[in-house]
Amino acid sequence: MQTHYSDISSLSTKYPRTTGSLFLVYNDIVYSQLWTDVQVLDLEPCTRAAIRGCRRLNANNTHTQIANIVPCTLSELVSLEWLDNAFVSLDDPPEVYLAITSDDSSIVYYKISRGIVKPPL
Amino acid sequence: MTTDSRPIPIRIANQRAYIWDVDDIAVLRSQHRLCGILAGTLPHLSQQNVFLGVPLLLMPEEVVLLVEKKFAVLVNDPNAHQAPTAPQLQKWEEERDEFAKRHIVVNDTKISQNAATRSMSEDAMRKRKERMERKAAQPQQPPPVDMIPEESPAERTEATPTTDSRPSTPSSNAITVAYPVIIESASSTLEWYDTSAATYNTIEAAQAAGIWSYPSNLSERARCGVFRGLWEQGYFLGGGIKFGGDYLVYPGDPLRFHSHFVATVIESPVATLRPMEIVAHGRLGTATKKSHLLCGWNDEKKDVSYLSIEWAGFG
Repeated sequence: MQTHYSDISSLSTKYPRTTGSLFLVYNDIVYSQLWTDVQVLDLEPCTRAAIRGCRRLNANNTHTQIANIVPCTLSELVSLEWLDNAFVSLDDPPEVYLAITSDDSSIVYYKISRGIVKPPL
Repeated sequence: MTTDSRPIPIRIANQRAYIWDVDDIAVLRSQHRLCGILAGTLPHLSQQNVFLGVPLLLMPEEVVLLVEKKFAVLVNDPNAHQAPTAPQLQKWEEERDEFAKRHIVVNDTKISQNAATRSMSEDAMRKRKERMERKAAQPQQPPPVDMIPEESPAERTEATPTTDSRPSTPSSNAITVAYPVIIESASSTLEWYDTSAATYNTIEAAQAAGIWSYPSNLSERARCGVFRGLWEQGYFLGGGIKFGGDYLVYPGDPLRFHSHFVATVIESPVATLRPMEIVAHGRLGTATKKSHLLCGWNDEKKDVSYLSIEWAGFG
């Protein structure tokens, strides 16, 4: 247990204001969504840590996809520039997942893509 | 349908933009991918909103786009109606009079024909014919005093010296039988209607003339910029109120396609965005099989950046 949290502990110290949502999202991703190869990245322009890992696309982990998560709380105020900076710091992936946490510890994930991306059929 | 490049006249009334010609509406829709909203109801059923017709009401963003692209001009319609000259007015009155007379004759013929088919006797038909002739002859009689037009007969003969062999007036005041008066819905047939002095080719000129104000602030500039940006990518746009956004974005004509996106306009890259908005828009979009578009306007660079939101599918 202690070994896992060593991943997030240094960035938690660096960005204490966003540690709450980072901790919630990290736990959810690792233990509930069961993503693999989870790492924590420094997202300096957004003054927080981001999470990168392999998302499970089926039950037995034969299909995975590298995905990025930016945690934030429901009470924060963000902007388009803030989201743009997150994309740039994460090496311009086509999409990032915004994990929005509320103070009862529930989390909701929304996929944000750059440009005009059609909805799935 | 016409394919000429004549700019479409957009009639401005009280800062709102209307198209009154159905051919222009067709050109707008098929060539310029702009739909507007039909806003005309039926005179006797003005509350119903199932069957709407001309005029077409345009969104201000559509107007700005059309004028900037030189597809349309703005016309200040009240100023296009000049005061008619005396001969113009007289010609108009003569035409109107002619129409009334023709109508009375045609109408009476119709009545007698109808009556004849309903097995009227020869006698009745003859009487009817006589009555019809009497009516046709009636304009020869002098007009009743209370129906003499404001203009004095002296002025009238002065303007038209050729009419002196006929009864003193060409106006319809001698006709005592009921007849319809047609009021044309378009002014374009009137000789004193001239739009050349009331037409504006640019938004700036129309703003200077005080008939049009959009876009007058950052919010309106952002809306125009985003509208234009999406339109230039080939989309059709409609009002977004049904799905809680600013625009609905269609991949083709809205009569043939469902919209793929709901777009909201964000005035600047640093404008505040609450995560709750992302949840609300994203969730609604997922439920209706649409993505939500955040359209960010940069007023310095005059460009638009887009972010698409949908539910992640987990968590």
